[in-house]
Amino acid sequence: MLEVKGLFKSFGGVAAISDVNIDFPTGSLTAIIGPNGAGKSTFFNLISGGLTPDAGSVTFNGTNLVGRSRAQIIDAGIGRAFQVARIFPTLTVEESLLGAVTAHRRRAQNITHRFPLPEMRDRMLEVAEMLGLTEKLGVTSANLSHGDQKLLDIALALVLDPKVLLRDEPTAGMGPDERWRMIEGVHELWEREKLTLIFIEHDMDIVFKIAPKISVLCYGRLLAEGTPDQIRTNPAVIEAYLGTSHEEAAV
Amino acid sequence: MNLAALTDCLTSASCLVTQTTSGLIIGMLLFLVAAGLTLIFGVLKVVNFTHGSFYMLGAYLALTVNGLTDSYFLAVLAAAAGVGLFALVFERFFMSKVYGSNVLMQLLVCYAFILILDDAVKIIWGPEFKSMGMATVFQKPPLFIAGGIVPVFYLFLIIVTLILSLVLWLIITRTKFGTVVRAAAVNPSMVSALGINTGLVYSGVFVLGGMLAGLAGGLAAPVRSLTAGMGFSILIESFIVTVIGGMGSIAGALLGSIMIGLVRSFGSIGFPLFVEGLMFLLMAIILILKPSGLLGKEG
Amino acid sequence: MMATRPNLVRDIAIAAVALIILLLLPYVWPSKMVNDLIIRVSAFALFATSLNLLVGYTGMVSFGHGMFFGFGAYAFGLSMQRLGVSIPMAFLITVVSSALLGLVVGAISIRLKDIYFSFITLAFQMLLYSTVIAWVPLTGGDQGLMGGIPRPPFLGIDLSIEAHRYAFAVTIMVVGLLILRQIVESPFGYTLRMIRDNTERATFLGINVFRAKLTAFVIAGVFGAIGGMVMALFVSGAYPEFVNWTMSGEGIFMIMLGGLSTFVGPAAGALILSLLNDVITRGTEHHGLFLGAVILLFALGLRKGVTDFVADWFRLRREASSRSGS
Repeated sequence: MLEVKGLFKSFGGVAAISDVNIDFPTGSLTAIIGPNGAGKSTFFNLISGGLTPDAGSVTFNGTNLVGRSRAQIIDAGIGRAFQVARIFPTLTVEESLLGAVTAHRRRAQNITHRFPLPEMRDRMLEVAEMLGLTEKLGVTSANLSHGDQKLLDIALALVLDPKVLLRDEPTAGMGPDERWRMIEGVHELWEREKLTLIFIEHDMDIVFKIAPKISVLCYGRLLAEGTPDQIRTNPAVIEAYLGTSHEEAAV
Repeated sequence: MNLAALTDCLTSASCLVTQTTSGLIIGMLLFLVAAGLTLIFGVLKVVNFTHGSFYMLGAYLALTVNGLTDSYFLAVLAAAAGVGLFALVFERFFMSKVYGSNVLMQLLVCYAFILILDDAVKIIWGPEFKSMGMATVFQKPPLFIAGGIVPVFYLFLIIVTLILSLVLWLIITRTKFGTVVRAAAVNPSMVSALGINTGLVYSGVFVLGGMLAGLAGGLAAPVRSLTAGMGFSILIESFIVTVIGGMGSIAGALLGSIMIGLVRSFGSIGFPLFVEGLMFLLMAIILILKPSGLLGKEG
Repeated sequence: MMATRPNLVRDIAIAAVALIILLLLPYVWPSKMVNDLIIRVSAFALFATSLNLLVGYTGMVSFGHGMFFGFGAYAFGLSMQRLGVSIPMAFLITVVSSALLGLVVGAISIRLKDIYFSFITLAFQMLLYSTVIAWVPLTGGDQGLMGGIPRPPFLGIDLSIEAHRYAFAVTIMVVGLLILRQIVESPFGYTLRMIRDNTERATFLGINVFRAKLTAFVIAGVFGAIGGMVMALFVSGAYPEFVNWTMSGEGIFMIMLGGLSTFVGPAAGALILSLLNDVITRGTEHHGLFLGAVILLFALGLRKGVTDFVADWFRLRREASSRSGS
């Protein structure tokens, strides 16, 4: 269970996150939505160790994560996949995954053997299979399609065996068909791996279809929380999104 | 090491005056060179390692024109114009080809030019040390301030370099060119989106930097011995200055130059063989404490 | 599917063959000129390959790597001249002291990002250079270490004999490159590549980037110093040029000319540049002019190292077969 209590963060006098309290039960699937500038990415940064909150706590299964190093937070089980895929352009898919497994198993400093260490292969193949990258192992990462790069990005996060996976706009930059496939993949992954999955998303259709629970951020505050039906009919939420044609179409 | 001589000097008014003046000269001339370097880095994000050679060219051009016309002022003007022209050619035909490449490629282009120019100078002017000699207008007895010796020429240099710094400041802050340059330093794509030809801006910045370096070379020529490779030490020093002052900050370059000028003039009394070492030490300390420099912007 | 990864046995075999060829060369082609060239290239190959560990494999652009080459030469020379130790002992002293230098300089420099890292490595190098020039009683100042470096025989090897000197130099080079090769193809080597490609992601994988970079810096420093030691043995002295920024500049040119993306690129670059320098010095007294022109031709024309072209061709072939076949 990931508990966020009383989270505050300001940048130079501007409050990016104010008094946010959200609980993410183990195994839940939650969508974080909100208009641009609502603080969604900042929120992710705060709970994954990219930023330190000014106040508040982030507790995972009883352990406080605030102030811990990135490595410690990863060890605790928080994984993160990024909006713009952060991959290793000159390494092949295989090399990237093997490298990640090696790092996870604490053998990244070894100079006495050759890469890859044989015991890393199984986990690498496992993760590659999970994301459907088995056919693409020999491809240099820079040459992957945009969608495949995002899959690799997720794979690199999954290698670390996270219990919580944060996904920052999984469908960003994709066309309508790709978008649905990606989000179905997200759903499948969640069901299969029994992760606690939290994702940021802009496409309302997707959010309402897929996410059992939605948290709405606006101007750094938690505006509303609930099921898709509750959120869809919430007047404050409608007002926050007023003017976006997408919301008009959905309602 | 001669700490006794150093403390003696610091406690003697006459020595203080002489050395401070000398330090100011070195510093102000250095500022002209460093300002160009920092400007080029601030706008183009390129470290122009050839900048010392610009200075050297300025000195040699001044030497030749002075020999032909017997006029120091024409010589200095020729130095500025000549080097400005060279900088234009250098930028348009060589540097611009590697703007997008990694820094090593840019370093190589500059390194190549240093090698070529050093040899070219030896071929055209000869490998021996050359000197320009003082213009007759400055061949007056030196001033005595608080017992310290201040040659008239030094006074002239200080005044001229101060005026040039003021002109530079005015150009950067008051003219349209200056505004565009400052904007391009912060957001080049925006500038080009506004319809301004960024290529011209880049060339302009290089020419300005080149002219400043050439001016410095010409101005300094009467009190320096000219030789191939004289560009190197001024390059290293202006490098140190821009790092200390902050890459991209002209005010920082001024501060850094004066600091280095004084370090050089007082340092050569106390630590005659280790003066460069002192400067590098200073640079290393600044890089450790505040990498963006004393007046540079963070990150 | 997967490209066959180079394994240690294969690399040792290649190294052994290369060593045998090099050792036999003086008998097949007796020429002092060629021998001297190869000894010099041995020194530079170690220097350049160690620099590429930083630049090509880790993405750390050091402008000051010459400091290790020079330091190695002086440390070795001084150990032999002043301490009167055996050559293996002086070798050990050089390795340990250069590792310490790398540790200190690295610990300070690596905290800085990008161009500031490059600047401070240059600053440290020039600091060392100024020290060498100024500390005349120890280093001989701008004259360099004078009086020659003693070469007492050890283990049946007498380095005052030219044939022994040659064999020693090429053996050190081959063994040194083999060790570097192992490091580069180990898990650590791939950690460095990950740091180069995406440092942020590497930290998100739990990698201690600072420690990895520092380790690479120290290793590179030690092998750069060993290159300097070979040079000192060869010229029987140590000179300020070994510590000067031009040494770093030449190192950078070597790795770029030879190719950043392959392991043997830097060594190839060392060979090409040494040949080039020889040809130019023999042909004209305007060394700078011609070398500069060649560098320009390279930077504006070729733009990639010689072995980079070869590697690209292999990579394209591999991708094509991986996409079509398996």
